Amino acid sequence: MAKKSATQSPKAGSKLKSQAVNGKSAEKKKDNSRRKSAKQPTVEKMVVDNEELEESSSEDEVPEANGKKEEPRSDESSEEDSGSDRDSSDGSGDEGFGHIDIEAIDDSESESELDSDGEDERVKITKQDDSEDDGEGEDDEEEEIDVDELEPEDEEDEEQIAAGTRVRQTINNKEALLTSLRRFALDTDPKTVPFAFHQTVVSSKRTEDSIPSVEDDLQRELAFVNQALEAARQGRALLRKEGVPFTRPTDYFAETVRSDETMQKVRAKLVEEATAKKAAAEARKQRDLKKFGKQVQVQKQLERAKQKREALEKINLLKKKRATNGSSTLGATEADDLFDVAVDNELNASGASKKRKSPGDGKGERNAKRQRKDAKYGFGGKKRFSKSGDAISSGDLSGFNAKKMKSGSFGGGGGGKKKGVKAARPGKSRRKSMAAKR
Amino acid sequence: MAAVYKSLSKSSSKEDKETESNGAVERKNKQRVLILSSRGVTYRHRHLLNDLAAMLPHGRKDAKFDSKSKLYQLNELAELYNCNNVLFFEARKGKDLYMWFSKVPNGPTVKFFAQNLHTMEELHFQGNCLKGSRPILSFDGAFESEPYLRLIKEVFMQTFGVPQGARKSKPFIDHVLSFSVADGKIWVRNYEIREVERAKGETGNDDGDEQQEKKSSKSGHKGGKDTDINLIEIGPRFVLTPIVIQEGAFGGPIIYENKRFISPNKIRAELRRAKAGRHVARMEQQREALARRKQLGLEDGKMKKDPAGLDTRDLFA
Repeated sequence: MAKKSATQSPKAGSKLKSQAVNGKSAEKKKDNSRRKSAKQPTVEKMVVDNEELEESSSEDEVPEANGKKEEPRSDESSEEDSGSDRDSSDGSGDEGFGHIDIEAIDDSESESELDSDGEDERVKITKQDDSEDDGEGEDDEEEEIDVDELEPEDEEDEEQIAAGTRVRQTINNKEALLTSLRRFALDTDPKTVPFAFHQTVVSSKRTEDSIPSVEDDLQRELAFVNQALEAARQGRALLRKEGVPFTRPTDYFAETVRSDETMQKVRAKLVEEATAKKAAAEARKQRDLKKFGKQVQVQKQLERAKQKREALEKINLLKKKRATNGSSTLGATEADDLFDVAVDNELNASGASKKRKSPGDGKGERNAKRQRKDAKYGFGGKKRFSKSGDAISSGDLSGFNAKKMKSGSFGGGGGGKKKGVKAARPGKSRRKSMAAKR
Repeated sequence: MAAVYKSLSKSSSKEDKETESNGAVERKNKQRVLILSSRGVTYRHRHLLNDLAAMLPHGRKDAKFDSKSKLYQLNELAELYNCNNVLFFEARKGKDLYMWFSKVPNGPTVKFFAQNLHTMEELHFQGNCLKGSRPILSFDGAFESEPYLRLIKEVFMQTFGVPQGARKSKPFIDHVLSFSVADGKIWVRNYEIREVERAKGETGNDDGDEQQEKKSSKSGHKGGKDTDINLIEIGPRFVLTPIVIQEGAFGGPIIYENKRFISPNKIRAELRRAKAGRHVARMEQQREALARRKQLGLEDGKMKKDPAGLDTRDLFA
């Protein structure tokens, strides 16, 4: 049965289309009458026999779809076809008006075929038809839909005309969609069906409302995550209530969707990213430090300059003071006055309080490198004649050895050398070691 | 007379049975999905197909389907494999992917254009989940607003939702499949549910949830009573633009068509034309300039001779 209906359905569609093309109005009237009879039992039939329903429902829907398809061919302007679209969608929206509206469409079609004056007139005519048939309610609805649906579509039309593309229509046969949905939908009534049966959560609000711009990846993904998170929370609560296991125990191992290999790669990439980030941060820090170090240096120079200025000012001030007061009052000697001892004292007194305490007296500790160099090369004192002999060095006889003098090997005389005595003078290393022994 | 009585009693007993079954919640959600592609898919499409197949333990992956025009043959194929859903990847021009979701044998069929594909292999997804665990399907609120979206939701529910007690399904739930509507398109995402220790400062944040959890823990569930949920994306992700809904399975009347969908071919052609337009405009400009010069008598190389006869050769002839 299934096979039969499956193969049948496309055929049925095409057949009906061709019929609609051949004899439009007559066919439609027939359809309408049939439609009336077929309308009520659809829901009951659904359960009883799928095949029958397939036929009846397809017959139901086809004329409408065809009606829409035909129109743009007869009248070119897209606005017009959207207008008629609206009519037909009205008809499909509420069952009671279905019959009347299709007639209206027929009328409008014939109108447009006869004289393609303009949209306004045609709309008026259809409106008249409606009002003749059934009151004002229809008109209101039409206007509402006008505002809702037409604006974006008109823009689309313009775009598409500008692009020179085929005008794609919006077919939105709500009734047919709903019947089709009813035919195959699962029962998900929360009162009778457990959640674990379908595990479907429909969020309470529209996700699109919380997305300011679809182009903004971050905002968009955040909105999606929030939607999913809400669903996950809700789902977990419901599943737990129903006693369905939710959390995977830690000792439950099974094949995963993504292989271990992939996950290894993902992890490696994560680590790599983290290290790269860390290195970048480090480098940035170093750069900042460098920049900051320079600032510090400048600051220090300024500070030093300031200190110097202050000191000079103080000295001048003191000198003035002393000049006015007279040196005798302070009880200083002539020599003191000459070398400005008082000024020095003053400066030291003020400076000692400011400066940090240095170990030792004034000089402070030299750093290790300096100390080593001082030990090696000497520091301070007179450099001149430091290697020339003086009374002390000539008085020092510690290097004298009588044996050596007698042995003759060492500085035996110029004559010996001349005779060609080899190795009268030992090699440098030996000499050194001998010197060390001494 | 007897026959009439028999039929009557039968029908009544049938009804009784139905009500009983309703009461006893003996429900069977039997779904099988035939997953296959047309020829000419790229590696990306193929990987996406594999990912989806891995997520659907009730799926049956089949070899590439050879035809792009006779799609109704898929009905027979699905019947051959006892499938009542078909997920068909149709690749065009080696770059565009159209996805068909169909309920076989009675329809409906929904055709989507798929964009922005990212497969699970991609390294920026860090989540993972059990193969064949049943997902929680999360639908945007917008899916309840329009009939065509409701229909699409139902199709997704039956295709992507792993039925309870499916053959290769795992007993725990560790991922969410989310469908959102934005910009007239349907965005599909797949997240891992990772339960993490709830931070102590967070308790005031969502009391309702906490209470629910407390209740559930009272009802005898250990483990994760004090956990919060984190979502980590697993992939794949893709965006679907609905194009057409047909009433039958790969056939039948069209009951929905999306006008806002513009075929990728059109877009590409438009781009090309725009590019060509620049060249055309330049050539036009050149031609005009040439014409103007001609009008002024400034045609290059052919300066008009001096009419007064002041040429040296004339003067000193």
